[in-house]
Parts: sequence; C-alpha cells; structure tokens
Amino acid sequence: MATPDRFRLDGQVVLLTGAGRGLGRAMAMSFADAGAKVSGASRTLSQLEETAELVTERGGEAISISTDVTDAAAVEAMVQQTIDHFGRVDVLINNAGGGAEGDGSPLTDLTDEQWRWGIDMNLTSQMLCARAVLPHMAERGSGVIINVASGFGLRGGRDNWMYVSAKAGVVNLTRSLAVTYGPAGVRTNCIAPGIFPHTPQALERWRGGRYIPIGRAGVAWEMGPLAVFLSSDAAAGISGETIAQDGGGLAAIGPTGWAPRIRLTEPT
Amino acid sequence: MSDFVPTPNPEQPEDPFLLKGRVALVVGAGDPLGRAAAVSLAEAGADVAVASLRAGPQEVVRVNSVANEIWSLGRGNTAITLDATDENSVDSAIARTISELGRLDILVNAADLPVAAPIDELSPDDWHAILAANLLAPALTSRAAARVMKMNGYGRIVNLVSVLAARGVANTSAYAAAHAGVLAMSRSLSQEWARSGITVNVLQVGIYEGQRGFGDNPESVQQVARMLPAKQLVQPNDVGPAVVAMAADSGFITGETIAVDGAATARV
Repeated sequence: MATPDRFRLDGQVVLLTGAGRGLGRAMAMSFADAGAKVSGASRTLSQLEETAELVTERGGEAISISTDVTDAAAVEAMVQQTIDHFGRVDVLINNAGGGAEGDGSPLTDLTDEQWRWGIDMNLTSQMLCARAVLPHMAERGSGVIINVASGFGLRGGRDNWMYVSAKAGVVNLTRSLAVTYGPAGVRTNCIAPGIFPHTPQALERWRGGRYIPIGRAGVAWEMGPLAVFLSSDAAAGISGETIAQDGGGLAAIGPTGWAPRIRLTEPT
Repeated sequence: MSDFVPTPNPEQPEDPFLLKGRVALVVGAGDPLGRAAAVSLAEAGADVAVASLRAGPQEVVRVNSVANEIWSLGRGNTAITLDATDENSVDSAIARTISELGRLDILVNAADLPVAAPIDELSPDDWHAILAANLLAPALTSRAAARVMKMNGYGRIVNLVSVLAARGVANTSAYAAAHAGVLAMSRSLSQEWARSGITVNVLQVGIYEGQRGFGDNPESVQQVARMLPAKQLVQPNDVGPAVVAMAADSGFITGETIAVDGAATARV
C-alpha cells in the first residue's frame, strides 16, 4: 500500500524559508518524505545545516542558503542559487517571520521603526520572495506558493499591532496572488497555524487547558502533511484559500467548555 | 466537558495520507462528489461503505456501481440504501457499516440536493424538503456516527457544502441557507466533540462538473465558467483528495472550512 500518486512530490524542488527550526524544519522532513528536494533558507546557516542533515537522514536531499528575507537583493540571490543548484523551483513556502519588538506594548509607545520592521519581516518578506520566484514559475506554467500566516492574521489581539496587521496582509496577499497568477498555472494558498510550542514541556502545559478547544497544542510535524497536501496535485482545486490549523480555536468564541442548555418551549 | 485529550503521535509519520485499516461511510455516494470521495478514500487504503441520500431507485443503482468501483480497487465495501432524512434509516446504516466493515472512523456527508427558484415559488413544504436533504441529513448522520466515534476516541467527519453557503446567488435562498446551516452546525459540533477525538471540517465546493442543474448542461456550464478565475468548473476528481487530506489529518484541524473552488471566493 503506497501513498496515492497525487499526494507525492517526487523530484520537485521546494524553496522553504525559515527552515532552520520549528515548523520550517518539520515541513522540510515532510517534503523529503514526499520525495521533494529542499532548498532551506534562513539567517542562521548552522541551524539550516542541521535541518539539511535531518533531511538527508530521512533519505532526502537538501541545500542550505543563508539569506535575509527582508532584503530584496538577498531574496533574488536565494532564488537564483536554488535554480542554479536544482534547476527549478516548484514550490515556495513563505515560512520565515515571527514576533517583533514592540508587539505587546501600548500603541502610544510603539516607534515607527518597530512598526516598519514588524511589517517588513512578516509581510514584505513574503511579497519579496513571491515576486522573485513568480517569473520563473509563470514561465514554466506551474508552481505553488504557500504563505504561512497565523490565527492572529484572522483575529485581533490586545496590544498586538504589527504581527496581526502583517499576517492579515498575508491572507489577502495570498488571494491576490491566486487570482493574478492562477491563469499562469500557479496556485497560492495560506496556512494559519495556531499554537505550536517549541519544547515538549511547553506542549505539556497546554494539555487539558481551556484555551485550545481540543485540549492540546500542535506538534510541529502536524503542519508538514498539510503543507505537502497543498503543494501537491491533490490540492489542484484549492487556491486563494487560508486554512487554519489550530485545534478548533477560530471556530470557537471565548474559552472552551461553554456548553449552554436552553429548552425548547411552547409559546408563552 | 470530558477530560479526554487525544495524544498526538510524537513521531513524524512517513506516509501521512494512508488510510489503511480505516473505515469510511460516504453518504450521497450516488452523486459526483460522493463518488469521488469514496474512490479517493479507497485509493488511500480505506474500506468504504457507500450510501444513498434519499433511497431513490436510480440513486441506489449509482451507489451500487460506486461500491463496485471500490471492490475493483481491492478495498472492503458495502452499498447501503439510505434515506438520510430518516432517523431510523440512518441508525441502521451506521450499524450496517460496522457489521459489514468492522468499525467506523470517517464520515463524509456528500449529499447535495440543489434547488433553484425565486422565493415566491418555494412553498413551506419545499423549504422542509430542501432543508431535510441538505441540512437535517448531515445532522442525523453526524450524530449517529459520533455515538460510535466517541467510544473509539477517534473520528473524522467531513461535510461538503456548496460555495453558495458563502456567496449569494439569486434563486438559491433555501439551498444556500441549508448549506450555510451545515457550516454553522459543523463549527458548533467541532466544539461539542472537541474533547472526544472527533474533528468536524467542511469542504466548500465551487460549482462542479456534473452538479445537478448547475453543472450538468452546456449552457449553464459555459455561463458559470466565464465568471471563474480558472475559467472552468470544479472537477469532482479534485474534491476527492481534499476529503482524504481531512480524513487523514492528525486531529489539529477542526471546525475549519476549506474552499475547493479554484479561487472563486478569493476574488472580489
């Protein structure tokens, strides 16, 4: 019994930003399992090389590219280096990003520089990577882009400014990319992860709590299969879409466990 | 609220889309999307019970033919004559699935009864019939399946609805309302069963090839296709793998709606 062909990515090349740790590293493993070659990019080369080693241990192939996703020239070079090595890019995963200094502060304390950096790192970076890779994909008439947003891209948070704004921007950037480049054969989708703790201890702390409806946080590897599915021909009908992977959080309102009972009554 | 919190597998699975050993029940398997779902689930390794929606004679013939397709793929199968709007008929379909195939892990509600007419022409009886087939049926099947799934601490429910649940089209008031009802019901059930190991997700499918009234005549197909970014209707064969992706998910995606519509809802 083998995985159905439409879910496989044999021989395809995946350019994955933020591949040095966490969700990016986990996605790299899943892509290797699906038969894809991985071009991992991030700021810290040593972390990327660890990811590449793990990919190789699973029987995959990976290269590591040190880059700065907020720098247009560095991003162009990252795409070119991937094409030079593997000959093509089939899938771009815009995964790099993260919390920025200033989020969590009162709005009146926020500096202009903090705002610009937060937006640059979490939104502009995804535009730069898409812009650099799209001519190549459009020319070949096929390609997939997956942008990583967040549950915070779909709802607001107290004293959360750049992250929510940038991630909401990613959701709508996804739609415009899908509509614009769909006719050229490029599908674009977005994943909105919920809470994925970095350590087993942190994972354990979420167990049985009321904040996440299913009563646990995500394990990094759980995002891999979703990314592989969206990258594969199995998702041929899906484009412009944002998929939340958050234990039921966005479907809910307020803390878990509110289960009212109100009886149906006769008219009074 | 029960305290059961399913534990995620700590190991990253190499074949995350395999459904070997799982048993699925597909309601509405006589329609194009139900057939596609059943075949894709079988291709991924699941045994599949296929059931009709309203037990009409022609529908039952189509369901039997889908069961034959599952058989030819070498998977366990059974064809069930089901009126999914009838509580007792639903309960016996669940019992039959378990007696024939041994268990029940996955429920797919693919039942689709499109009706389009100006609201002035819809009688209260018409409303009842449209709501029964499109909304009551998935409610009854989900309820009956969940009774079994709760005992196993594992279940995957995938409800298919039309894009009209999210966008307004003239003359589809009752049909659209019923499908929007499935969306809201699924979010609620995802919370109700969040601690039972059961996920409830929705695939929101664009107008598809072969859809009764919308996609089964050349004139309508041409008119609809012109409005879509992909310039073609959704292919049922692209919906099947999306059902597999949700059915095979590790359990962190629940209460979520995924559009399979070729970017139709991504556009203004």
